[in-house]
Amino acid sequence: MIRLDNVTKSYLTLTGRKFVFRDLSFDIPEGVNVGLIGRNGAGKTTLMRLLSAVDLPDSGKIVTKGRLSWPVGLSGGMQKNLTGRDNVKFVCRVQGLRRSRMQEKIRYVQEFAEIGEWFDLPVATYSSGMRARLAFGTSMAFDFDHYLIDEVMAVGDASFRAKSRKVFNERLQRSKVILVSHNMNLIREMCNMVIHLDHGQAMLYDNVAKGITAYRKAGGVP
Amino acid sequence: MQRTTKRSHLRIQRDVIYALLLRELSSRFGKSRGGFLWVLVEPIAHVLVPVALFGFIRQRVMPGVEYPVFIVYGFMPFLLFKAICLQIVDGTNTAQGLLSYRQVLLMDVFVAKALAHCVIQAVVFLVVLTGLAMFGYDVLPPHPLELGSVLLLAAVLAFGLGLLFAAIASLIPDARAVIHVMFMPLYFASGILFPVTRFSDEWVRLLAFNPVLHLVELSRVMGLDGYQPTKYLSISYPVALALTTTVIGLMLYRQRYLARVTS
Repeated sequence: MIRLDNVTKSYLTLTGRKFVFRDLSFDIPEGVNVGLIGRNGAGKTTLMRLLSAVDLPDSGKIVTKGRLSWPVGLSGGMQKNLTGRDNVKFVCRVQGLRRSRMQEKIRYVQEFAEIGEWFDLPVATYSSGMRARLAFGTSMAFDFDHYLIDEVMAVGDASFRAKSRKVFNERLQRSKVILVSHNMNLIREMCNMVIHLDHGQAMLYDNVAKGITAYRKAGGVP
Repeated sequence: MQRTTKRSHLRIQRDVIYALLLRELSSRFGKSRGGFLWVLVEPIAHVLVPVALFGFIRQRVMPGVEYPVFIVYGFMPFLLFKAICLQIVDGTNTAQGLLSYRQVLLMDVFVAKALAHCVIQAVVFLVVLTGLAMFGYDVLPPHPLELGSVLLLAAVLAFGLGLLFAAIASLIPDARAVIHVMFMPLYFASGILFPVTRFSDEWVRLLAFNPVLHLVELSRVMGLDGYQPTKYLSISYPVALALTTTVIGLMLYRQRYLARVTS
């Protein structure tokens, strides 16, 4: 379970302090795949950043016993001036893996990403598809209880998409996902629950179809 | 696939700083074209240019002290100070990608950058001193341990001031550019080209407010045989300043004044 307890988050901008959430509290129950939906600027990415502890709330806390991934996105966490291999090494070292266990992860990512010699070139030279392959492969090399995924499944070519879906579906046997997406088909297919973010409030729907309807109404989409 | 084992907080921090340190060093030394050569260009130029300009006029700064060696020992603490200070000021910006991993804290990035630059500058000066020794100069410091302490002091002062500047820069982003430019006048105000005893007494009293001047002079006292420092030289001033800035800097960090402002 992931519990948000009176979480307030604001950012200071040139026109004053903007609150994304004020005293937001809810529980994400055990064993569900969550779709996070809402209009642009509703706070989906901010919530993901808070869940992954990239950013800290102004007040309140987020409590969980599970292991949450970093936000798996297009470029999140990749150092552009380092090679793909060095990026994977960095992640391994941060996770406390050395030597043979690190080599094992590197092999896994190299095989998963299938980017050939690009693996030893700086990430800055990659196409967005190659970056997504590396990012997704790196996240799949580690076991998490919850994967935080921000629109990454939609990139890459057909063969990569098929492959990543297959691996990911296997992983979902023991792990869960919190998914940000504007692709409602993906949400319907993968999630058992929807959190609709709107004006700093979170509405939880056990019924995915109802949640999507609420989002469509709020967004003025017929 | 086995899970990563549960680690203590201290162990996590050690792993993270190790990972960041390797990353910092490998991006500085390896990979890029020229790599380490570029790291050497700046200090070597800073020794060669003044030597070419002034060295022929005056072979000796004071009895027994040769000009190139004099420049190196003065420039050493300055460059270390500048490198660490600017790395921390810019660290809040360059660290963003690294902070995606929940184990990595901004302070880890600062510590790793400071350590990396201690290593880099140490290597740079060993290379430069070896070079000078090959040209027949006497480069061995009479007080090596004390010299090391002075350099450590320079690193701590740079760390503390860097944290303060980073807090200012995250409140006023434009201040970052001012801080960068500030190092130019600081170079001249630190008495690197000439011994400050050449200046008039009122000037030196004013310049003595600059803590880097004390670091430069201390470094020469420890590194050069028979060097006569200014009478305004103080050890307690830079030490006190290093400790207070570090404490205030850490307090500001805890209050999250250094955290990113934009979303």
